[in-house]
Amino acid sequence: MKTISKWLALVVTVFLVLAGCSGGGDSADSGKGENGKVQISFINGFTGGDGAYMKKITDAFNASQDKYEVVELQEKDHYTKFKSGEYDLVVIHGNNLETYKQDGLIQDMSSVLEKAGIAETDFHQAGIDTVKLDDTMYAVPLDIHPLTMFYNKEFVQEAPKTYEDLVKINDELQAQSKDLYALGVPSSGLVEFYMLMIAAQNGIDLEKDGYLNFAQPEYAEALMQFHDMVWKDKVSPAGLGLDGEFQTFMKEAQEGKAYQTAVALTGPWFYGGAKEKYGDNLGVAPIPQIGSQLAAYGNSHTIALPANVKDEEKLAGIAEYLKFMYTPENLINWADGGQAPVHLPTLEKVTAEQEKYQIAYQNSQQFDDYVSAPQVYQFGEQIRYMNESVFSKVVTTEKLTTDALMKELEKATEMAKQIAATAPQQ
Amino acid sequence: MYKGASYKIWSVLMVSPFIIFFLLFWALPLVLGIWISFHNWNVSAGNLGFVGLDNYKMILTSGTIYNDLFMTGLKNTLYFVVISVPPLVLIALGLALIIDNLPDKFKTIYRTIFFISYSISVTAVSAIFLWLFNNNGGFINNVLMSLGMKEAVNWLGEQPYAWLTILIATVWWTIGFNMMLFINALNEVDSSLYEAADLDGAGAWGKFWYVTFPQIKNVGFFIVIMTVIASFNLYGQTRLITNGGPEQSTNSLIMNIQTSVFGMNQLGIGSAMALLMGIIMTVILGLQYWLSYRKTD
Repeated sequence: MKTISKWLALVVTVFLVLAGCSGGGDSADSGKGENGKVQISFINGFTGGDGAYMKKITDAFNASQDKYEVVELQEKDHYTKFKSGEYDLVVIHGNNLETYKQDGLIQDMSSVLEKAGIAETDFHQAGIDTVKLDDTMYAVPLDIHPLTMFYNKEFVQEAPKTYEDLVKINDELQAQSKDLYALGVPSSGLVEFYMLMIAAQNGIDLEKDGYLNFAQPEYAEALMQFHDMVWKDKVSPAGLGLDGEFQTFMKEAQEGKAYQTAVALTGPWFYGGAKEKYGDNLGVAPIPQIGSQLAAYGNSHTIALPANVKDEEKLAGIAEYLKFMYTPENLINWADGGQAPVHLPTLEKVTAEQEKYQIAYQNSQQFDDYVSAPQVYQFGEQIRYMNESVFSKVVTTEKLTTDALMKELEKATEMAKQIAATAPQQ
Repeated sequence: MYKGASYKIWSVLMVSPFIIFFLLFWALPLVLGIWISFHNWNVSAGNLGFVGLDNYKMILTSGTIYNDLFMTGLKNTLYFVVISVPPLVLIALGLALIIDNLPDKFKTIYRTIFFISYSISVTAVSAIFLWLFNNNGGFINNVLMSLGMKEAVNWLGEQPYAWLTILIATVWWTIGFNMMLFINALNEVDSSLYEAADLDGAGAWGKFWYVTFPQIKNVGFFIVIMTVIASFNLYGQTRLITNGGPEQSTNSLIMNIQTSVFGMNQLGIGSAMALLMGIIMTVILGLQYWLSYRKTD
């Protein structure tokens, strides 16, 4: 018994020592930093090229301040960190906002925006549609990054505007070389953008009672267009994998060994790489009309206020930071990083210098036709089976029938229903 | 000399770091994992209450999303275990035997060459194999087409090629570890046994089967067990090379557990899946142990 007590005492002691060493805690708890300024922790996932541009805005704010300091954390898995820690501001993608709202992790931002002098009318309607849930502003919209079209001017003089244009380009390129195609349809990667784009371009509403209803005959017909692009019209080579639309655009045709495409419907974040390779030969334009009507789809960044932030001093600091950020001279940095801000005064600056902010300007041209993601709980999980399995079947199965596709869409819908049922607030 | 209070205190102090870290990083997470698996635990909302065996029932009930995730992941993982363990063990043994028969001055060089890939991170390995096996203009396809193959192989987008790519990447990446263990085992074989076999007129195969194999059998069994465990934990290669595709056919069980926890927020379900996976691994390893030692007993 005595020995056991000794062991227990030792273990408890070391536990206490380790617990004592852990110290620290999140900055949200610390309130003021060593410099006496009120600290605001701002977590986002800007770990790509755009991160430096957001940092520029934050650094400029901190330099201008003697009362507040924004501590910006750029983390690859920022959502996981956000859920397990305490932060004062968080960047959330537009298609995740409903989930974070229903999970009670974010709060109404109206009063902070009012304090910051930011009004709904300062933004393009597409941005407002993304952040307004149940008539409440749950975030402030930052940008929209829609599916973007790159084209190689060496092969295409003018940006294609319709599917017929793409077919025509393909015929011309195929006449030149069997290794040249109009565009590439990938089997994985950006396929969510493709699937939601074709729904929007055919006027199909996928949302039904809080879940994504893929099992619609008209949606099966719409998706079959991608199948036909590969197997019937052959405007895309078959068997392209992850990010195949961009990789094929960046390749150089090699007599039967590698395909090259003249157009890429891809993410704007690939702009830097494409510009480096093609220089002035790179064209950027809104995506063409592939379905029955013109519509654009993509995702967006929004800045939300975590539910735990109640401290008045912090809220005042957040308002100050947003006021600073949402001025054209500061937010233009975000456009410089390749993102298209939805803040109208900044957009005016972008339009005035459209050559300098080429990608931001071209993407802003899609805002009027932009259709945001259906606001459902766990959007990413609801669409997972479509992303990982169904779209791949559509573009890789030559003999796929609409009936076989419908069966897959029914399975995907059943899964989406089950995910929707896990929502905490119904 | 080794008596008295001072000796006891010192012995407790010396062993305590192990005990503490064992409790902190093994026992505590295990107990916590078991406890969480009996709760409706949401990553965002926290603990929503005790649910008994409901999480396990949902995972094992056909037609639920969790059953689909678990069974698909398990099937894919078992497939990988079956196709990966034999080459990972046999090729390692082959390499070890070759190196063992090399002149001494070459042994270190070749041992290092074969082992060095093991020190590379999975991210770098994946980047290399993505480049090598790219369907459109990848190095392997270019070589094959230069040799007369008509059509490019869709290595990453079609089965069985996707599994073959993952297998080749895994063998290239990890073979060095098993090989080193076999080399050490071969070094322990008494050379006089080979001399005796030579006198008896044994050939290369006879020497391997009657001398080498019985001597390295125990190490071989340990390697098989370690390889089965490593293959069960398949994650990095399928995450980074195929991203679970084509059509979720390379989604491993660990990937699907991660989806349950970090995608669906279901920590309770994810913990239950992890425990079920642990139980399955234990059963398989127990069976292996029993099969291997049954004859010797």
